[in-house]
Parts: sequence; structure tokens; C-alpha cells
Amino acid sequence: MNIDIKHIAKLARLRIEDEKLEKFEKDMQSIVAMVDRLPDIEEELTLDRENAMTLREDVAVPDKFTRDELMANAPQVQAGCLVVPKTVE
Amino acid sequence: MKDYEIVIGLEVHAELNTESKIYCNCRNAFGLEVNTQVCPVCMGMPGTLPTLNEKVVDYAIKMGHAMNCKINSVCKQDRKNYFYPDLPKAYQISQAEVPLCENGYLDIMVDGVEKRIGVTRIHIEEDAGKLLHDDSFSGSLVDLNRCGVPLIEIVSEPDIRSSAEAKAYLDTIKSILQYINISDCKMQEGSIRCDVNVSVREKGSDKFGTRCEMKNVNSFSGAVRGIEYEAKRQIEVLESGGTVIQETRRWDDAKGMSFTMRTKEDAQDYRYFPEPDLLTIVVDEERIQKLKESIPELPNRKISRYVKEHGLSQVDATLIAESIDKSKLYDECTAMKKCSPKNVCNWILSDISKFTNDTGKSILDTALTAENLVKLICEVEKGTISNSSAKKVFDIIIKDDKDPVKLIEELGLAQNSDEGFLEELAKDILSKNEKSVSDYKNGKTNALGYLVGQCMKASKGKANPGKVKEIVTRMLSE
Amino acid sequence: MKLYEKTASELSEMLAKKECSAVEIYNDVKSRIDSVEDKVGAYVTLNENALEQAKEVDNARANGEELHPLAGIPIGIKDNISTKGLRTTCSSKMLENYVPPFNATVMEKINSAKMVVTGKMNMDEFAMGSSTETSYIHLTHNPHNLECVPGGSSGGSASAIASGEAILTLGSDTGGSIRQPAALCGAVGMKPTYGSVSRYGLVAFASSLDQIGPMGKSVKDVAMLQSLICGYDKMDATSKNIAYPDYYANLKNNVKGLRIGVPKEYFGEGIDSEVKESVYSAIELMKQNGAEIKEISLPSTEYAINTYYIIASAEASSNLARFDGVKYGYRAENYNSLTDMYEKTRSEGFGDEVKRRIMLGTFVLSSGFYDAYYKKAKIVQRKISEEFSNAFKECDVIATPTVPSSAFKIGENIGDPIKMYYNDVCTVTVNIAGLPAISVPCGFDSKNMPMGLQFIADKFCEQTLLDTAYAYEQLSGGFDVITKKF
Repeated sequence: MNIDIKHIAKLARLRIEDEKLEKFEKDMQSIVAMVDRLPDIEEELTLDRENAMTLREDVAVPDKFTRDELMANAPQVQAGCLVVPKTVE
Repeated sequence: MKDYEIVIGLEVHAELNTESKIYCNCRNAFGLEVNTQVCPVCMGMPGTLPTLNEKVVDYAIKMGHAMNCKINSVCKQDRKNYFYPDLPKAYQISQAEVPLCENGYLDIMVDGVEKRIGVTRIHIEEDAGKLLHDDSFSGSLVDLNRCGVPLIEIVSEPDIRSSAEAKAYLDTIKSILQYINISDCKMQEGSIRCDVNVSVREKGSDKFGTRCEMKNVNSFSGAVRGIEYEAKRQIEVLESGGTVIQETRRWDDAKGMSFTMRTKEDAQDYRYFPEPDLLTIVVDEERIQKLKESIPELPNRKISRYVKEHGLSQVDATLIAESIDKSKLYDECTAMKKCSPKNVCNWILSDISKFTNDTGKSILDTALTAENLVKLICEVEKGTISNSSAKKVFDIIIKDDKDPVKLIEELGLAQNSDEGFLEELAKDILSKNEKSVSDYKNGKTNALGYLVGQCMKASKGKANPGKVKEIVTRMLSE
Repeated sequence: MKLYEKTASELSEMLAKKECSAVEIYNDVKSRIDSVEDKVGAYVTLNENALEQAKEVDNARANGEELHPLAGIPIGIKDNISTKGLRTTCSSKMLENYVPPFNATVMEKINSAKMVVTGKMNMDEFAMGSSTETSYIHLTHNPHNLECVPGGSSGGSASAIASGEAILTLGSDTGGSIRQPAALCGAVGMKPTYGSVSRYGLVAFASSLDQIGPMGKSVKDVAMLQSLICGYDKMDATSKNIAYPDYYANLKNNVKGLRIGVPKEYFGEGIDSEVKESVYSAIELMKQNGAEIKEISLPSTEYAINTYYIIASAEASSNLARFDGVKYGYRAENYNSLTDMYEKTRSEGFGDEVKRRIMLGTFVLSSGFYDAYYKKAKIVQRKISEEFSNAFKECDVIATPTVPSSAFKIGENIGDPIKMYYNDVCTVTVNIAGLPAISVPCGFDSKNMPMGLQFIADKFCEQTLLDTAYAYEQLSGGFDVITKKF
């Protein structure tokens, strides 16, 4: 199995530095080769009815946190908003 | 030019009007100060987990019933992975393989003809936040208040064949959402949005053409414009010998044009997989049945019934059916089977609507009862009172629950329809107005109106004008 | 004997009898930290409020308040468990300065029991690793031999138990991350049944496999802490709403008639002979004292590592996508577009091992490969679970080695991911099947390094599991957890 490192990295929003690329590619190929070995079991995945979850009651609890508390870790904030590079031209 | 057929499929996203968000207990509210309706969960903070709001499941099932779907009592949620600043977890919790509802249909009416549109599926998912762009700043701003607002996505089969059908389909969905009260349907707030899939093919062909998906359609009228633009564009491509490329396009309503967003080659790979933070959704049959029973007769059914059984026009039927209050009153009145449904319809769409518009009240807030309205209409139909007198009675019964029959008597509004009395009256008037009689006989037909008017005047308005006219006409021709 | 050398249950009794104060215990542990932390490197962050918390416990006791048995016991918290106001780094550059605005559910329990939080424990970056060498913060050393790794990913939590820098610790276990370091450091560590301890506030690695669990010097201590942290939590949809017993109060040393299954697949080629011997002799000891030994087979074990790495990496690739430099954590300095910002932030913020797992996970979920990898792995996962279910029809617990060999040298395996992954060969099946398992020390090898014995029980049978481990601990007489080497 040959995996397209560049394509996968793009999907994952990762960039592998050029000097590390060769080793990285080799490691990835051997990891994929390792996990590749799985038996073919002629079964389908089914939904587990026994594993049902309890749903939450529709009750709103406002003002649990202040905006400042929630934004305290953000790298860039302006006018109460998170700031990112422009998304439209 | 060849004869083309347009093939349309719609994906409608509707925000549900629950109290709290879909996966956390933040308020589900619109238009508040940026980033104030958020918490660690909907902000996607490390370590937080989703918990599914039961109302979202109920509402989606209700919509499933309203659209005649099969309800999957056992289903799950999946993650749709993609990076964008309005999606804090970098995945949207949605449903991929097994939606809550599937294989339904919706009957719509276009130009008085009923048409059935297949509904592929209805699933639940979370809304994303909003990006704000300001020229004064070099970046984009992110407001996460809308993150986690519950959505249902309704996917239609490619059964729609014109922009008019698309509009009717969308209007019908909107009226149902309002009827079963699961969405506010405020277009300007973006609470209903749709993606449009359009393809064209030669008429008679049984193969679908290559489709384009149009995003960013924020109004129903925008959908109509977008479909028409896109169909025209595709036909032009085909007519000039080209081929339509499968792609996602962005509709720009202001420019009235669509633009390529991405082609099939760089289609996104969402890497769907089952959401491991949530277990199986299991809804018991009893609950599904109870939700089914909670669905009232829906507007599209009503329209069809009003047109077919009551002989209303599609326009009038729609105006009545799409309002919960109006159709309730209409249905109560017509169920008594005492007066003509058309008359009921006319009263509702004219005087009653005028009153509610002027006062800002809903019909339910007025004193008007179906019983009183029917009594009033019957009196008019019998000719007991004139239309103008009826309006006087109406002005009272919409404010007070009083018996119209008694009111007519108390106010002395009853018309005299007695043949003998009216003949005496007419004889008297004709004898006093020989000039007009001879004018009439010489072909001046407007003399008739004058003579009838004189009769009415002499009776102090009590004479039944229809009858008077009938008798005077007969006497003049004798 | 110094206070830091004592077990939590001993200290709890002393506190109740007012033979010592919470401040004395904390000060003793703190002075131990001050003297050995340079060599061990168990902590990422020390809690500056710890002394204050200890004083509060003493005041509460003086005021006659009824206290939880663990009140005043110092505990270290793995640095992937959210602590309000105390930075939670996951040992990553990505979260180096991240301070959560909320507490994990387990922290609410620990705080309401008035335990004294000593600080946050080092770990492999985002819990990905088996040696704590992938930590961006610093290395952690095995107190039994400072040249060796403490195991991982809960390496800080395990080494602090062995160095006396904490009385109890919390770890998290996705494929062995509590049991493997516990074994390598000679501590007791338990991975509870999936769904018995709330994951709310645990920074997710692989959501369907992660579980927070207790680590300590003795089975009793682990039972005590497990009784505190377990329970249904409505904030975690995967948590199980059942009644949880007080394992500590119910703990019994009962080996007679206990049916112990011994799966042959766990004693194969890759397992060090010294480890095999010590596990076999532990089983023999239990047999001599009345346990019934059954040889069993769990044939799908050979696919466990593959299954585990596919499922865990797939979930990780999605769970770690949120670290994008927008809401919290690291953001690259120079970028010219949104995509550039994402890619630089994530490439600079994550270490190599994390990148490998994200890449693997992205690959196995990507279009065209999902069925061949992820879906197949989920089917094998069900198979592995079924084999365990069948095994538990004929035995109460299963005994295996925890780790194939004792602790390896720092740097020895870090260049070879595959070799590192095989460290988890005995532990991953438990996570795949959602079972509870515990590692208890079962002796020292010829290099004088600790080895671990793993017991596995059926879902939500923590009592049986703890009783078994306690019985073995009593029979073996226990082993020195605290190193005498420094």
C-alpha cells in the first residue's frame, strides 16, 4: 500500500518539513503496512440497540460562562470575536 | 433549440425552535451580542462532550411524519470532518448512513394541480457559527452564537421540474414547519436555507443530465432566480455544443448569477465516521406513534381538500390553509355544513382579515365564534339582511359573543321580503314616477336603478333590494 | 517511615485519628518533590494552591465536618484532565499555555472530596506514546532506574507514585496508558470499564477507548480512588447509568474458587521470558491458594494492535482537528492565508508522533480506504469483544502480563514507531473490548526493574477485578513501590 502523504497531509492541514519528509514517509509506509493485516470477516456492522443513550431534556441554562472567560485562551480577539485571516476576498 | 426539461432536487436546512442547543444547554436564541450564547461545549473546548437534546429528535420525527417518512427508531450520528473557522470542533455532528427519517413524500399544488415530490431523507445536525467581514479590518471575525443551533436537513428526490414547483415545495415545507411549530421560519434570520441541485435534459430522455449544486441560497425567491439562471446557463452550454461540468456553485443573489466554488476534482473528503461521543439513538415505537398523533391536518392536505371538495380557488385555499387561525375557523364553520364554504372563505379573507390586520389581533383573540359567523352568513344567504347590514352585525360579533339572529332583531336590520308588501310598494312608486317608467320603456335602462332606489327609500331601507329589483323589472315589462 | 512513603489508606486512617494533619502530609510530599523532581521530571505544573487546600481540610476537620476518607490526600492529575484555572497542556506545545475555564467531572469529584491537588503530571503528547518521551515539556525518568523510561502515556502519574512525589494519581488509558507505566514503575494502576468514569473534561485522544483511571501504591488505594471517581455523568453520553458499589468498603481477599483464565496468546514469542515466569508463578501462587486455573484462547488477539491503531488514530485525527490556532492554544506567527495559518499552526504545534497518528487516522478514513481499514477494524473489534464475552462465561478474571518486558532505556525505541507500538500488545484488547483491567507489581527482573501482572474482568465487574488483585497482593506480600535508590 502506497499512501499519498502530500494528499493526506493536506486533508489533515499538516505540513511535513522537507528535511523530515523522507523519514516520515518511510515511517508512515511501515505503519500502514502494519495495520494493513486484518482478517476478512464476512459480517456487516449493525447498530447496537442495546447501547442506547439517554437524551438530554430541552432546558436552557444561560450565562454559565462569561465571554471573557471563554475567550481568555484565544490567540487573537477583537470586538468580542475570534479573529482569523480573511476568508473572502 | 431543442425542448429541455429541468430536473431539480432541493436540500432544505431548517433551524428548530428548541429552548436549548442540540448538544449543549446554551440558549438557542437569535440576534444576541456576539459570542454570548456559547459555552465550552459549543466552543469545542478540549475535553468537552456533546449530549443530544431530546426535543431535536422529537421535532425531526414530527417532520418525518408530516412528510410521510419511514422513521428509523434505531439510528446514529456521524462526524463530518472539515476545517473552517465557523466550525470550532473542525467536524459537524450530523447523520450519514442512517438518518432519523427516510423514504417519504410531499404533495404540493401547482396551478391547481397536485404533484408528489419524493423525500429521500430528513436528518438532524448542528449549525455552524458566523463569519463577519469588515473592510476596516484585515481579518474575518468569528461569532460562535449559532454553533450548535439544531437543524434538520430535508433532502428531496430529483422530482421537481420547474422553479414554480420548487417554490411550491419550499412554501409547503415552510407552512408545515410553522403548522407543527418546530421552526420559526424567519427567512431574514436564516432559519431556513437551501441548497439547490439543478440539471437539464432533453424532454423525453430518461437519463439525468450532469448536475450542479448551488449553495448560499438564502431565500425562496432567490431559489427561483437561481434555478432559472442555472437552467438557462446549462441549456446554453448544451446548445453551444458543450458539456455541463459537475461542480458546486455559489449563488450571488445580488448579482443574479452563480459562480464556480469547486469542481468535482477538488470535492471535499469529509471522512465521515460514527460519532464516538454519542451512543445509538433508540426511540421507542410508542413515542413515535404519539408524535404521529400530534400532527394536525397539514396545509397541503387542506388546500387539496378545499379545492376539490369546496370548490375554492387554489389562491384562496392557500391563503386560508397556510394560516393556522384562518383554517381553524374555516374548518369549524364548514364542518357545520349550514352555509356555502365560499361565503365562509370570503368573510375570512375580507372582513375578518381586515379586522385582524387593523388591530394586530389574531382571530383567536377576537370574540368571533364559528357558530356566530355561520349564523350571520345563513341570514345573508336567506336574504334576511343585506350585506351592508351584515357588516354592522359583524362589527359587533367580532368584539362580543352575541347571537347574530337576536342582533338583527334588536337593531331592526331584517329586510322585508314579503311579496305582497313589495308589490304594493312597487305599484305605488311606479304610479308616482310615470316619467321614469316611460323612459325605461323607451330604452333608458338606468331608470330601473332610480325606481328601485325610490322603493328602498320609501321602505326606509327595509325592503330586500334583490326582491324589489325583481318585482319592479317584472312590472315594467308587463 | 516518612509520610510520603505511606499508602492513601494508611494516611486516611492517620488523618481520621488525628495522628497527622493534611498540611503535614502535603509538606512531606512537597519536600520530596523539591528533592527528587529534578531527577524524575514527573510534573508539568505544580499547583500553587495545594497548601491552601491542605489547610482547608485541616480546618474542616477541626470544625467537626464530616470528611471523605480521601480528604487531605495529595493527588497528582495527568495533564490531559481539565483543571479549571490550572493549565492543562497535554504535554504539547499546542496547549502549552492553555488554562481551562471549567473542571473535568472527575475534578469536581476530587475537589468535593477535598483531596489536595499537587499538580499536573507529565505524559506523552496528547497521550500518544508508551514512554513519555513524546512530551514536548520534558522527559520523565523511571525512579527505579533513571536511565529508563517510566512508560506511557501516563508516565508522570506512574513515576510520581514510585518516587513518592504523589500519594495517588489519575491517569488515562486508551491502549494501556495507565497499566503499562504502572507496570514499568512498580505501581498499581487500573483502567476502569468504558463508561464507568466520566470522560467530560478529559482531552480526547480516542473517544471510544479513552478512560480515566486511578494509580497508587496498593490495590486498596486504587479501589478507594476508583470509588470516588466512578459514576454516571449526564455530561458524558457514553457514561453508564447504573449503581456503582463502594469498591473500597467491599474489598475482600477471596481467592478460593476464583476462576482465572490464562489466554495462551498473551504468552507468545514477543514476551520476555522473565516476565512470563513471574506471571506464571503469580498464577501458580493463586492456584495453590484455591483458585481454579483455566487455559483459554482469545484467537483474534493477533489483530488487536492493528485494530487498535486504526480505530484510535481515526478518532484522534478528528478529535485533534480542533487545534487550529483559532479558539485556544498555539498559533503560528507568520502566515499569509487561512490555510497557511492552519497548516503552520498544526505543523509547529504538534510533535512527530502526534502527526503520524493524525496522518494514519486521516488516511484510514479517507475516501476509498474507509471500508478496507476503519470498517474492517470495527468488525474485528466486535469479534475481539465477543471472544472476551465467551471467555467470561467460563472464568471470572483473566490473567496476563501487562507489558512484554520491563522498562527500556530512554531513546532506545523512540526512532522506531512500530517497536514502540508493540509495547501495547497485552493491553490494547482491553480498550478495544471496553473492559476493566488492573496492573499489579509481580516482582523485579534481573535488571532489578519492576514487572506487571494484568488482571482483566468482564464489563462493570471492577469489584471482582479489585478483589482478585487484592488477593494476589496479599498472597505475594506486595513489592516495594517507592524506590530506595534515591
